[in-house]
Parts: sequence; structure tokens; C-alpha cells
Amino acid sequence: MADSRNRGQRRSRRASSFQQYKALLLKDLRQEIRTREMLTSMVVYALLVLTIYGAALAQVGDSVDVVALAGGLLWALIIFTSLLGLNRSFSHETESGCLEGILLAPVDRAVVFLAKATSNLIFLAVVELITVPLFFLFFLSGAELATTTPMMLLPLAVGTVGVAGVGTLLSTMTIDTRGRDVLLAILFIPVVFPLLYACVSATSVAFLGIEGTFGTFWTSLALAGAYDVIMIAAAWGLYEFVVDA
Amino acid sequence: MAAGTGQGSLAVDARGLVKQFGPRRALDGVDLSIPSGAFLSIFGPNGAGKTTLLRILALLSRPTRGSLSLLGTDALDEPDALRSRIGLISHRSMLYGDLSAQENLEFFSALYHGEPDRVRIRELLELVELDHRRNDPVRTYSRGMQQRLSIARALVNDPELVLLDEPYSGLDPHAAELFDELIGRVREGRTFIMVSHDLEKGFDLCSHVLILARGQVVVCAEKAGIDRAAFRELYLATVGMGVA
Repeated sequence: MADSRNRGQRRSRRASSFQQYKALLLKDLRQEIRTREMLTSMVVYALLVLTIYGAALAQVGDSVDVVALAGGLLWALIIFTSLLGLNRSFSHETESGCLEGILLAPVDRAVVFLAKATSNLIFLAVVELITVPLFFLFFLSGAELATTTPMMLLPLAVGTVGVAGVGTLLSTMTIDTRGRDVLLAILFIPVVFPLLYACVSATSVAFLGIEGTFGTFWTSLALAGAYDVIMIAAAWGLYEFVVDA
Repeated sequence: MAAGTGQGSLAVDARGLVKQFGPRRALDGVDLSIPSGAFLSIFGPNGAGKTTLLRILALLSRPTRGSLSLLGTDALDEPDALRSRIGLISHRSMLYGDLSAQENLEFFSALYHGEPDRVRIRELLELVELDHRRNDPVRTYSRGMQQRLSIARALVNDPELVLLDEPYSGLDPHAAELFDELIGRVREGRTFIMVSHDLEKGFDLCSHVLILARGQVVVCAEKAGIDRAAFRELYLATVGMGVA
């Protein structure tokens, strides 16, 4: 086996970056479908947070306008749930040194980043598909919602992309550190704060639907979009240094 | 001291390799010349820089200083061109426990070739005698089976240079014997570099030996010119030197 005639033929077939991206992404999806580790823990955590919200809001009755707080509550739920998922996103890669196995191959490190960020984005989106309707059902079903409420999907989408991109970079940086769960939170929340602030602002405007405030909505959305572009481009460029360090 | 210079093409040609981690110097001016087709065993006490050297040769880490040529190509200028020609077998399997042997090999094959090379994968599974378990999750395998599969993983790109980092770690004697047999079967046409604490096994397998201590080469030579007992004494004296 492994005769030299086949060797040359084999070596001449180089994978394209897209093929490598597809292989990395499908591997992550296949693993998650099989184990459901990340999705289960994120959904269960999100449900617990919703329960705590419910208990806290039940104490104050009608004295608090839930709609005015909804943007902040929703984003706190998303950020803390995503932290849990991001902490787990590299657990399979580090268990048996699999990340090294990937880095041994002629794969552009930026492709590794992009594939991992995409899988994190998909998992976050799935969790949001479950938890956001529940959030509406538990806290906003009795409230009078503005007609602009569906516009909250825009900051939700832009914010989730940013969280997945920045979170992937930071979770890679903390892979081999002691107390990585805590360290990731300490790094992640300050770094993602400008995005969080912009998304909370845009989501709140969408929920409240007050005329004359839509300038704030679009400005916040533009800031969140600019944050995504800058941070993901930086993460793309920095990833090689992070994984090869 | 360099081994094997002037014996045809060199698989490894390193000059003045230095690797610095903060104030600590893990490698301190390592020179190494290993001819193609050789089997080099690297020995040394814990912290001597063996794994650091192997990681640099695997292109997983860059030296702080020095030059490195692998298989006739400048490894620092063109690492991507070399990666498909190098394989690494470590004490960690680098396999996904929740995926089957077939899925693991297809994944790693796709990283090298785009589409998984299924003919090659079948050959490799037959070689490591895991064809009958190809669809079972890797986490259900024994340590010895995982290590056999990690040989298949490392050979999926048909590498010319194979690096072994403490491959016997956690293997029982029977599994270690099977591992040796497999390595013997794939040795032709490849250069092997192995880091090991097992002096006897490492010495038996190799054609060249290297002892590292405190990040420096103590001895690097062809085995043919070395007396086993004298080498053992030198090794023990080196281990006694401890680390930097």
C-alpha cells in the first residue's frame, strides 16, 4: 500500500478553502446532532433564566412596564446563554487534541475560525428560535405590543452574528487557560459591550414603537453592524496568531 | 553534532533553533540534520525541549530564531506547502470520540484532499485492522485501538515525514507490540522522528539517536556507531542533569 505512484496523484489533490470550510462545519453539526451537548445545555439554561425572570417580575406585578425592560432582559438572556455555549464549543476540539489534528493540515487558520463561528452562529440561532418565542409567550403575551415589534429581528440577527464571531475568537484564546469559563466571561462581556448596548437600544425602540425614536433604531443598528464588520475582520486576521501561539 | 549529513537528501535540516517562552528558553540553538528514510529517536529528561522540538517540526509552532528546512523546503517560509507531507501521531489520539472511525478519517481526508479519499481510507482501516469497527464511535474503542486508528489518521495524507510524540503512553505491552508492527509496515519511504521515554524501544526502532537536555543537543548520531550500554549510561547521566 501507499505506493509511490498513488502518492503523487494523491498529493496533487489539494482541498480548496471552501471544501475545508464545509468539512469543518459539517463535522461540528454532525457532532452536535449526535450529542446535543451544546444545544441542550444552552436551552435548559435559557429556560432557567426565563423562570428566574418570571419569578422576579411576578414580585413587582404591574408596577413595572415589562415592554420597556424587554430589550435588556432579552439581551441578557442571549449573552449569558451564548457564553455557556461558547465555553463548550471547543470542548470536543481539546478533548483528544483534535484542534492540533486540524492545524496539522494545510488549512488556512481563518477558515477554521469561519467554520467554528458559523457553527456557533447556527447553534445560537437554534436556541434563539426556541427561547425568543418563549420570552414573548411568558412576558409579553399580555402586553400591548407596538406594530414595530417584528423589527427586533434585525438587531437580534446582527447581534447574534457579532456574538458568534467575537465569542469564537475569545473562546479560542481561552482554550488552554486555567479557569477558562470565568476568563471567557471576563473577556467576552467587556469586548462585546458596545454591540450589546447598540442591540439593547435598537430592540427597545422596536418594542416600544414610539414615534420619532426610529433614528435611534437605525443608528444603533448601524453601530452594531459596523461592530460586527470590524470585530469579525479583526478576528479573521488575528486567528492565525491566536491558534499558533 | 549532526547525524547523517552528506547521505543524500535531508528530511530535516535545522540550524540554530531557539524557542523562547517568556524568560524560559525551551530550545537553545538546536542543530539537526536527518537524512530521508531515517528513524530518529529523541530522548531526554522531562522539560528538555523534546515536545517543543517536535511541535516545531510538525509546523504547529514557530521557532523564535533559527532556520528549518523540511523535505527540502524552507519550513518557515512555506509551511502550507509542507503540511500535506507531514503526519503526527501523539499520545493524544486527535480523534473525535463521538464520530466513527470512518467519519474521523473522512473528515481529516477532506481537509487534505477536498473530497474524502475513500479508497485510501478503506486501505488504512484494513491496515490497522479496524475495518470491522469502522462505523462504531471512537469513544467505544480501547486505548490501543484508538492509537492504531490515530496511525491511520496520521497516514491519511500519505506523509513523507511522520512524527511520533510519546506514542506508547498508556498502551499495554500487547498494544505497544501491535503499534511497533504497524509502524514497521508503513516505514518504507518515510522518515520517522519519535520522542520517547522508553529507551529500549526507542533504541531498537531507530537508525539515529538524539539526546536533548536543557534545550540543547547532547548527542545526535547514527545508531550504528553507538554502543547500547554506553548510550544508556550517557542517557542516564543526561537525565540526571535535570532541566534548566
